[in-house]
Amino acid sequence: MAGFILRRLLLLLPMLLAASLIIFLLLRLGPSDPAMDYLRLSRVPPTPQALAEAQTMLGLDRPLAVQYLDWLWKAVRLDFGISYVTQRPVLPSLLHFLPATLQLAGVALVVTLGVSVPLGMWAARHPDRLPDHLVRLIAFIGVSMPNFWLGFLLVLLFSVHLGWLPAMGRGGWSHMVMPAIAISLMSLSINARLLRASMLEVAGQRHVTYARLRGLSERTVERSHVLRNALLPIVTATGMHVGELIGGTLIVESIFSWPGVGRYAISAILNRDYPVIQCFTLLMVTIFVLCNLAVDIAYAWADPRIRLSPEVAHD
Amino acid sequence: MAPFKTLPRRVAIGYNHLIAKEAPQARQVRVFALAAVGLALAIGPTGQGMAQTRLNAAWPANVGPLNPHLYAPNQMFAQAMVYEPLVKYQADGTIGPWLAAGWEVSDDARIYTFRLRQDVRFSNGEPFDAAAVVANFTAILAGRSRHAWLELTNQIETVAALDAHTVRLTLKRPYYPTLEELALPRPFRFVAPSQFVGGGTQAGITAPIGTGPWVLKDTQLGVRDLFTRNERYWGPRPAIGEINIKVILDPNTRAVAMETGEIDLIYGSDGPVSPDTFDRFRAMGQLTTGLSKPVETLALAINSNRGATRDLAVRKAINHAVDKDTMIATVLYGTQTRADTLLAPNVPYADIGLQPYAYAPARARRLLDEAGWTVAASGARQKNGEPLLIDLCFVGTDAVSKTIAEIVQADLKKVGIGVRLVGEEESSVYARQRDGRFGMIFNRTWGPPYDPHALISSMRAPSHADYQAQSGLPDKAEIDAKIGQVLLSVDASERRRLYRDILTRLHDGAVYLPLTFTSAMLIAKPELGAVSFSPIAGEIPFDQIRPREP
Repeated sequence: MAGFILRRLLLLLPMLLAASLIIFLLLRLGPSDPAMDYLRLSRVPPTPQALAEAQTMLGLDRPLAVQYLDWLWKAVRLDFGISYVTQRPVLPSLLHFLPATLQLAGVALVVTLGVSVPLGMWAARHPDRLPDHLVRLIAFIGVSMPNFWLGFLLVLLFSVHLGWLPAMGRGGWSHMVMPAIAISLMSLSINARLLRASMLEVAGQRHVTYARLRGLSERTVERSHVLRNALLPIVTATGMHVGELIGGTLIVESIFSWPGVGRYAISAILNRDYPVIQCFTLLMVTIFVLCNLAVDIAYAWADPRIRLSPEVAHD
Repeated sequence: MAPFKTLPRRVAIGYNHLIAKEAPQARQVRVFALAAVGLALAIGPTGQGMAQTRLNAAWPANVGPLNPHLYAPNQMFAQAMVYEPLVKYQADGTIGPWLAAGWEVSDDARIYTFRLRQDVRFSNGEPFDAAAVVANFTAILAGRSRHAWLELTNQIETVAALDAHTVRLTLKRPYYPTLEELALPRPFRFVAPSQFVGGGTQAGITAPIGTGPWVLKDTQLGVRDLFTRNERYWGPRPAIGEINIKVILDPNTRAVAMETGEIDLIYGSDGPVSPDTFDRFRAMGQLTTGLSKPVETLALAINSNRGATRDLAVRKAINHAVDKDTMIATVLYGTQTRADTLLAPNVPYADIGLQPYAYAPARARRLLDEAGWTVAASGARQKNGEPLLIDLCFVGTDAVSKTIAEIVQADLKKVGIGVRLVGEEESSVYARQRDGRFGMIFNRTWGPPYDPHALISSMRAPSHADYQAQSGLPDKAEIDAKIGQVLLSVDASERRRLYRDILTRLHDGAVYLPLTFTSAMLIAKPELGAVSFSPIAGEIPFDQIRPREP
């Protein structure tokens, strides 16, 4: 198992290297010019001299390969450069904003699991009846509604009209309610439908019928024999959802003025702040890969067939 | 207590924000508001209580390190809160004394002698004197290349202290907008020399210590910047004790913040909220809303050196074919006014009575017919096999520009001019401005105090859309020569004559389709009283705000 984890962690390095190169090239090969954006933000007319000055200041006057290698050399020492826009070191800024994002994503994950599991179970208990239709409707709305639109609707209702919740900022629990709902609705909708389908599939299997024949209570059958087995796909999906939830903060943090990494990244994207975009992307790649690894480990822990397979067990 | 029950909830929240320091939850709001009213009544509106007032406003980013001599990430409005100029640009377009109590200009207009006020200190107690002025100018000129876009930095020869409170500025050549450029929010403002790093400011400053009415007290990255009143300020004390600038990136979120009482003021000339949002606030009637006098002109630069727009008749037809009034009423919700000339009449030297190109589609058609642009069977016009099709370039993510572009496209189609919309990202559009790859392109003037001198000066630089648009004019060389003359002119009447000549040639050449005169927007809680607009677009006059007594 330890070897399996180590191998997966080592695989992260070439993945990060490839991601960094792709992102670097994608940014540079586009028509954007960060020096122009710097002058725009500075309200300085883009005279050729001012443009050349800005390009020199931002290090954009060097050949692409030199720029990339210089960036890479510094990045391996965890120096991701200086933001073009804020003129602050990128990594400390990202780390400054990261706890707020992790807090929001964490709460959103709790909401996702806390709501989707009961909803999925409720729907599975009453297939093709009213509860199932209701959950289907919720899921349909949840996956169809963009999170930024939902965010504004929530603000309109709970902040502007009812005045129950603060419209923005980071503070107590009340500040987290609407952003967490906005981020998590899509994931919980998917999870609920997934769990419903998985539970119905497991419920038809022979070991469940056998459990019932043994005279076990319906509650025990559902909890120990149906739900536990039906949760395996949910474990996989949750790993993906963590990444989605953190990605979902990009827009939602801007709407709720939540001082997290997502809003920082949006601002960087709007202003072609290459160093921030590159560091943010690598951070997201790392989080996705680690989440997938965590899912694999959890899967192995939950399912003896995987835990005891030669690939995992003998490493 | 009774009056509060009659107030809308929103107003009560706003009131609380002005008096108390925190933004509590809805139920707590009333308690705090009532307590605050009691406190305010007990100590009186002009006593110690005013020192506790806080105004909440919003800005898309933190204000930055506030180095007065550098650009982004230093936010211009915040630099202007902390640092002051020698002279001040006034609402009527004239220049008045500020840190300099007076000045004299030599007969050859090369030497400016400033007499400094003697009662000014930096917020840390350091004296503001001639030595501080010279040190700051030296620091600015050490980074001359960064400021080269500003002609004054190129023209300054020496800066010297004649005595403790007299400074002499010597120019290489006479440059009439010297005082206007000294009044800009940056770079010619003054930080305490004790805050220099490495003997200057190009490598940074230790702390933002200026002479202005505000002091930066605290910065929370991504959250807010807090300014307090400068208790050593030499001028009229601001009535508000603290300015809390919340970082709110999204314009819609800013509007919600205003509506829910999180902020007390929205102010800006760069579309701080969308026109429809502004209109909604205006219609609600519960908040103070206002639009400033024209600040900038939004225009389409028409390329006289490319495609069909090389033909003067086509450019004039475009000017006659667009229904600006309907556009302003529908897309811009009346937040801007119709522009018939490149510069608004309130811009210095620009009120010269130019004859507008009136909205007259029939006249546009006649002009095109007379110029040989005939209507083909398809309905599109062409001449010698060349179709009358023009590229209109705009920033694709700018919803207002996109809608305006679509309206222009529809209006021009009615007279037989085809328009191909080219929506791209911002820096691509700037690149087109620089190299002239456009038929028509969105363009703005620079606003006060840059207009008209900096605007027309830039028309000589190929990197500007103005240059590219004008480059096909037969008298372009003559226009450029006159621009050079006007910037060096010493005699005011001669300068007026030159400006009239330049602006008339550009108007007659129809190289612009002026669309609207844009205004700064203001949305404020009524408790703030009458909020004035700053004469300079990049500044916010927090120090002028006098909240109403409760």
